[in-house]
Amino acid sequence: MHIPDNYLSPSTCAVMFTAMIPVWTIAVRKVKEELTKEKIPMLGICAAFSFLLMMFNIPLPGGSTGHAVGGTLIAILIGPFSACISVTVALLIQALLFGDGGVLAFGANCFNMAFVLPFLGYFVYKFIKDRVHTQKGEYIGIAIGSYAGINVAALFTAIEFGIQPLLFTTSAGQPVYSPYPLSVSIPAMTIPHLLVAGVIEAIFTVAIFAFIKKVSPGTIYEGAKQKTKAVFGLIAALVCLTPLGLLAVGTAWGEWGTDEIKDIVTGGNALGFVPEGMRNGFSFEALIPDYAVTGLPDIAGYILSAAAGTAILIILFKIISSLKKDKAGSNLG
Amino acid sequence: MDNNKLKMTQMPDMPKMQEMPKMPEMPGMPHWLLEDEKYSPQSDRDAFISKSIVGILSILSRIRTQDSRSTPKYSVNAAFKVAFTLLLLIMVSISQSTAFVTVIIVYLLVVLCTMQAIQIVKILKVSFIMSFFTFVILLPAALLGNTYSIVMITAKVFTSITAVNILSHSTRWNAITSALKRFFVPDIFILVLDITIKYIVMLGDFALNMLRALKLRSVGRNTSKYTSLSGIAGTMFIESKEMAEGMYDAMQCRGFDGEYHVNSHFQFTAADGAYILIQIAIIILFVYLGRT
Amino acid sequence: MIEINNVSYSYSGVTALQNISLHIEKGEAIALLGPNGSGKSTLLKLINGIISPDQGTYTFDSEEVTGKKLSSAQFTKRLHQRIGFVFQNSDTQLFCADVYDEVAFGPRQMGLSEAEVDTRVNDCLSLLGIQSFKSRTPYHLSGGEKRKVAIACVLSLNPDILVLDEPMSGLDPRTQRWLVEFLVHLNKSGKTIITSTHNLELVPEISSRAILFDENHEIVGDMPSGQLLEDVDLLKRVNLVDQYYHCHQGSDHKHFHDHSF
Repeated sequence: MHIPDNYLSPSTCAVMFTAMIPVWTIAVRKVKEELTKEKIPMLGICAAFSFLLMMFNIPLPGGSTGHAVGGTLIAILIGPFSACISVTVALLIQALLFGDGGVLAFGANCFNMAFVLPFLGYFVYKFIKDRVHTQKGEYIGIAIGSYAGINVAALFTAIEFGIQPLLFTTSAGQPVYSPYPLSVSIPAMTIPHLLVAGVIEAIFTVAIFAFIKKVSPGTIYEGAKQKTKAVFGLIAALVCLTPLGLLAVGTAWGEWGTDEIKDIVTGGNALGFVPEGMRNGFSFEALIPDYAVTGLPDIAGYILSAAAGTAILIILFKIISSLKKDKAGSNLG
Repeated sequence: MDNNKLKMTQMPDMPKMQEMPKMPEMPGMPHWLLEDEKYSPQSDRDAFISKSIVGILSILSRIRTQDSRSTPKYSVNAAFKVAFTLLLLIMVSISQSTAFVTVIIVYLLVVLCTMQAIQIVKILKVSFIMSFFTFVILLPAALLGNTYSIVMITAKVFTSITAVNILSHSTRWNAITSALKRFFVPDIFILVLDITIKYIVMLGDFALNMLRALKLRSVGRNTSKYTSLSGIAGTMFIESKEMAEGMYDAMQCRGFDGEYHVNSHFQFTAADGAYILIQIAIIILFVYLGRT
Repeated sequence: MIEINNVSYSYSGVTALQNISLHIEKGEAIALLGPNGSGKSTLLKLINGIISPDQGTYTFDSEEVTGKKLSSAQFTKRLHQRIGFVFQNSDTQLFCADVYDEVAFGPRQMGLSEAEVDTRVNDCLSLLGIQSFKSRTPYHLSGGEKRKVAIACVLSLNPDILVLDEPMSGLDPRTQRWLVEFLVHLNKSGKTIITSTHNLELVPEISSRAILFDENHEIVGDMPSGQLLEDVDLLKRVNLVDQYYHCHQGSDHKHFHDHSF
């Protein structure tokens, strides 16, 4: 569910990041209120735990492996606000330090995995647990909470992907970012999560929670001491307003916005885009539209090739000589 | 002091050591322990343990190597690198000019060839893998007539991943985290970041050993893989709580009062100057090529 | 049974084992000694098939253990069943919710019937004197108790060889004494015991043969335990003892004194 860079426009990323700022601010405030400063090391360590949890390969029927996010689990274990901060930190480290992608999309990823997933999951869990006062009820709450949490997070991800071709296209009508509209992105993301990823997440969450409850129940978060109605309101507001914000920013971003939307809605096919240039078939220029290096003099092209060629040769040389030195190889076992 | 002058002296007669209290009789060995085990393991799908082990090992190795690296002579200030890498990512993302993306790729290749071979391999590995996946994801769109995305986005993904990885491989992470202070990130966040990195190593080591223990005892068919994995994850969580308490006690003993002071001494060097000039050139190019 | 020939191993450019050769027969009781970082733990990992040598060969029961063989699940599982490994840190060894399940984990994997599993678990628990812990959570036990659980859960696999990494660390003297007796008992019953330890005093009791590593990751001594402990110069050279080292054997003992200042 991690969104890589270049699939979302920078303006989308900016909107999602901005939407997270109030969430982070409130989370920090809540954490400071509910817990003393001795919880600062705990946030870091829980972030490490969240990070490592995402690294676990989980066996799937059929032999392959998958991954879980564990956002709801962490929310149940340490509270949703602390979970928000811990998952945020884990995502930051993944993106910026491990270079796995998602630096610009950081805001969006946090919105999906550090906000929607833990909060929704936690509140569904709490809702069920408070109404079914049995142990079974608690576990059902956990299962449904984590399942719902990750699926709604996946839905949000799909929406963020899907509105890209709607809002951001080149003058030739090509989508600049993710080319798959809502009609594609929503089923593509939600179906695997409903059928597979959500189930894994639910099982994993319940199993780990059960273990901890049995072994060390005192470490589990007791529950917010204050009423959380206000937070509910904030969450509802954010959830509704963010898409509006996205749309607003999108259409404001270029004169081409409204025209293209019209095109797509009326003249387009099921996939939503049939750019003008493509109608005449496959031609080389159309394959790489700007290849004429528009705007740069020819000499720039020569310099570029020379620089690229030299750099590549140096890189290959370095790699080969290091392979020769390293005959014993490195054993990761 | 002459070691040859070591003398052996006879101690006065020590009283005989007390007889040790007799330990309870060892129970007799059960018969099955005395026999060889004739066991032929069934097959089972437990690649997930090895995969998890390898994954965590590479993370730990990555964190450790970046820390042991020494700062080269002509190094650019981390804050500049972070700021301009971010700016570069934004420009690449916005740009619709293949020319611009091409120039940036060449620029990154040139930067890459100044790095060590191991780093180059690691960086390119990630970039190629991510680009490949992007290519595959965009293939359906391409086959239906949209060839712009598959070229541009794949190229952009390659560029962004390479740029961020160059940053993270060429800079000490504690320099990156303290550079965030310049971006108005509160000191307390930076503290949490630093703690997290440290504990990814410590908790990761713990997890690694647990996974190894699981592997060593996975001698047959495990019908409750989820239980084993969740046992490991659960134990990790409890352990992490204990680590947190221990750490807080230690911090208190050293006078922690909730404030974390990130040291940022700043000296503008020639390397900084050269770097900034190059970045400005890139920005100008971006604007110029974006005019069309 | 175990043949290690000219094995070298390094990790991330750091040498851990340098040209090690070693031969261990079935039924022996061996102690591995050496300063920290000398390669003892790495050798143990090698023996257990967690890593494979960069150079040289490791042969177990006439079959060579290579990286390739270790990628075969069948081979690895059989190896792990025959060689049991007790970690230094018992916390990382235990991952089940109660002691019974922990000890039952191995036999259950092996496909034994639940009745046989039950027999084995109860046998192991009584061997180690921890029957009362059957439904306790391993995580909450004391260090010594955890060590016993760890040993039990490895023993239930009925391995031919038991490898222990610093088993005495963190144990009180009484439990240490118990463990020594237990290892002797196991060895007399036919199990091969390989122990890595810092505890020189106990070495002659838990082993008949001692192998000494030095800081260059090489083996510099391989002889009967009593003999190695007498060779104080060697022990000092590898930095395992200092000039105040002495060994309590009977009623008189030697002290080295330096009166030159």
